[in-house]
Formats: sequence, structure tokens, C-alpha cells
Amino acid sequence: MGATHPNIVVGTPITWVPLMRRVAIVGAGWAGFRPQVPELSFRELVFEAAQRAYEDAGVDPREDVDAFVSCQEDYWEGIAIADEFAPEPIGGALRPTYTVAGDGLQGLAQAYMMIKSGAFDIVAVESHAKPSDIVTLDGIYDLALDPHTIRPLRAANPLFTAGLDAVAYMSRTGASRVHLAMVAAANKRMGLHNPRASYAGRVTVDDILGAPYYIYPMTRYEVAPFADAAVVMVLASEEAARRLTDNPVWVEGVGWSTEVGTGAVEYHKWGHMPSLKAAGLMAYRAAGIDSPTGEVGFAEVEDRFSFMELLSLEELGLAGEGEAHKMLETGDFSPGGYLPVNQSGGSLSVGVPFEALGLWRALEAYLELREHADKYDVPRAIVASWRGPPTYTSAVAVLGAQ
Amino acid sequence: MVWKAWRIGDVIHYPGTQEVEKYVYTPGIHGLEFAKALKEGRILGMKCPGGIHVPPKTYCPDGSPGELVEVKGPWRIATFTIVYEDIYGNPLPEPQVLALIRPDDARRGGLIHIVKADPDTVYIGMEVKPRWKPPEQRTGHITDIEYFEPA
Repeated sequence: MGATHPNIVVGTPITWVPLMRRVAIVGAGWAGFRPQVPELSFRELVFEAAQRAYEDAGVDPREDVDAFVSCQEDYWEGIAIADEFAPEPIGGALRPTYTVAGDGLQGLAQAYMMIKSGAFDIVAVESHAKPSDIVTLDGIYDLALDPHTIRPLRAANPLFTAGLDAVAYMSRTGASRVHLAMVAAANKRMGLHNPRASYAGRVTVDDILGAPYYIYPMTRYEVAPFADAAVVMVLASEEAARRLTDNPVWVEGVGWSTEVGTGAVEYHKWGHMPSLKAAGLMAYRAAGIDSPTGEVGFAEVEDRFSFMELLSLEELGLAGEGEAHKMLETGDFSPGGYLPVNQSGGSLSVGVPFEALGLWRALEAYLELREHADKYDVPRAIVASWRGPPTYTSAVAVLGAQ
Repeated sequence: MVWKAWRIGDVIHYPGTQEVEKYVYTPGIHGLEFAKALKEGRILGMKCPGGIHVPPKTYCPDGSPGELVEVKGPWRIATFTIVYEDIYGNPLPEPQVLALIRPDDARRGGLIHIVKADPDTVYIGMEVKPRWKPPEQRTGHITDIEYFEPA
């Protein structure tokens, strides 16, 4: 092992065995995507999403689905050993089910590998969140901070680390508050076309710049609120996919990575996101993409905080370092532009359903590729998600319609 | 799925508490030394191949044992933010400045802490110094440093 710090090591090369079979998404279901879903327990919310996903894919979970992956965290649920609640609502009782304590996109990566390995033909992935059930959300976030060096400070808002990153990013790249506001205004507006976007609206750059600060340098328009939601996706091997659907969406590659983790936030590379870069490189490698330039039709990337969309595009190699805000100015990321970004409205207009966030981004890309692949020269999407403060874990998937 | 309580007043909630209030966190080998030093008004770092790392983490990034050393600064703001509202959007009585503060002699890391300064005057590169609690009030916690203030 060399003397370099983990912050500097980016993209451990992983070589996938090239002859293994392809993996496709063959169906998806969702439920909720509202600030509150008071009438349903989180289990019923998951059941609804699962039932819709199995109907969409044309499979019976008790007969056809070989294994199940659920992504969730005990603290969010308010239940210890919450993974024991996972099988029942998704039809996984008495069948191989396991839980990933991470983002749903990491669960999608597990399902991808399970099918690639040849041991499973059809795998369901589930992730959900019911933040409206959490009475003391700040307390839960507080418990995620290092108990020795950070938690005792009693920061007034546990999302403050995003502010530290935003200031460092803007200082390094020259991106201004106007650029951040442009991101938020565009995403809020694009969300008006999306039935899942509870927080969409006609908001102007001036509205945003004129609003009071929430966490400097961002206003509340630029920080995604929370949403109750569940997402279930059904993945299948190529043979099974061809049998089940005429329009499979292929999972061409996946990647995930954790930087310093929350036990050493001080060591994070501020204003950068090395975990996203590493996850992207891993996914590109699996997909056989040397450079994403010209190889991607559109992207759904991290935008929980306005600056994050620009940073994500740079770390993913979809914009040069420090170039994203300039490309934003010229309309490169608008619908019909060089690389449409977050046409779904992003999490700024859909909200944050905790661990379901990444799986939701994959859902948006999946639906777009399934319904509108012919809109793109290259019918391929990059999906990139981050687990949110105070973590430094990211996951990326490359989806394609060909 | 096809029949749900459709009036908000018909929904009953079950309030609960997660029993996580009482827990002890082991500081670890160098975490303990770091804590003891705080009581003495000193901040420790870890001298590793390539430079000093703050706060010390017992093992260097290359796995070697390293050496605990006192970090004296000067301390500078590497990045900062200003919190105006809590997570629910309630305005704070006064904005809270938080920063990643890095000593000039450290290669990586730093301390995250509160900076007591006029928010309009804070900038990246600003020199700050720790404001310690009186010795008899120190407990070996990061809060033995009350805050950092302009040097």
C-alpha cells in the first residue's frame, strides 16, 4: 500500500468478465412521492410500489422473482433490525431477500451483479422512505455525525456540511450564486411535467436570489425538501427480459464508492466529490465507455443542493473541471441541449425520499428511455446519486435502450 | 390498496421514542490522547509519512503507526458556511458560522468548529484561533474549545 491518502485514490480499476450476460430493467412501480402519505404505513407504501412493479413487468413475485434486495436504514424507520420488515411487502417472504443499508442505486448494483453471476434470472430491488413519520429529523441526522469531534458542537442545522462544500466549490470554480439559482429555477420548472414532483413550481432566478439564506450560500429553494415514497424495480437477465418485454432498458454498468465516510468528515476533499468520480469511472468501465463525451443522451444527477448538480457533472466527466457553470449559461444542460440534465425536475422538485433517492433517479431515466428513447441520438442515460449529508457515498448507473 | 382512510382526521398515529439517548462511545487509542490533550488546552495531530493529519486517527493512511504531535497553527478557514435556519426552516436567533479550520502545518484534515465572527467578514484563508474554556471547565470534549475567533 502506498503513502497516498484515500482522498486521492480515485477509481480502483475493476474489470468485469466481458462474456457474462446482459442485465435489463423490465418493469418498475412507485408510490407516494408526496410531502406526506398519512394514510399508509411505510410497509403499505412499499406494497403498492411492488404490486405496480410486478404488474408492469408481468411477473408473479412468488413464482418468477428469484431474489429480492431492499435498501433502508434502521434510524429512518424508527425500528431496530428493520431489515426483518423487508421481505413481506415485496413478496419476498421465504425467498432469498437481503438488505443493503445504503442508497437504492447501490441495491440496483447488487441486483445487477446477482444476475450477471448467473445465479439469478429475475431480481427485484426496493427502496422507500417515510420522512413524514420522523418527528425529530434533526436528531436522527445528529446521530450520523462523529460523536467525538462534530456532534458535540450542536450545529444548528445538520445539513451544514453541504454549505461547506458549496463555498469550497464556488471558490475553486468561479461558479456564482446566479449559477446555483439557475439550476434551482430550471429544475423547479421542469418538475411541472412530472407527476412525482411535489415541489415543482414556476420560480425565477430573481425569486431565488431575493430569498433569505437557509444555509449559506443557498436559499431554501436550493435545498431539496423531503418526500414519502417507495420505488420497486424488476431486473432480469437478457433471456428473461426478451421473454417479458419488447422494450427492456439495459443496465450497462454500475459503480459505487465511499470517500472518507462520516467517521472522518474533516478529511473530505471539500468542494469535490471523489466518491462520485470513482463510482462514475467504475460504471463507465463496466459499460465499456472510455469517455462519456458524446456517448450519453441525457443525465439524472445529484441536485439535493443546487451546486451539487454542477459538481456532479464535473466529477462524472460530463463537463470539464470548473466548466459546468459556463455550459449551464449556454443552455447545454436544458432539454434539447447538448446534454439534458435532470429533466425530471431533479430532487429539488421531487424531494428527497432518503435511501430511495438513487433508485428514483434510475426510475426517471428508465421511464424516459422506455418511452422516449427515439428523442436521443444516443439512447443512453447516466444516473448518479449521493446518499446525502453527512455521508460521502455515491452510486452511478449507466442505462441504455439499445 | 383500493380502500383507504381518506380524511386526515381518520388517521391514527402511534407516537414512539427510539431508545438511543444513552450510549457510550469509545474514543479509541489516539482519540483518548486527543481528548486528554484537549483538557490541557492542546490540539494533537498525527505525524505520518507526507505530513501531519488532524484529528489523529491512530493509524496513518498507509497503515503505519505514525507519531502524535501537538499542532500549533496558525489556523485558517479552509471552507465555511453560515446557518440561518434549522432543518425545519425556523430562523435562528443569530446566524451560526461553521468552518473547516486547518492548521498551516497540517497536510490533511482539520477541525470542524464554530467561528464566532461577523458572518459578513468570514472568508476562505482567514486566520482564526481557538478560544478555550477555563481549565476547570474542560471535560476532554471538542467543546473544550468554545469556538474559534479571528486571530
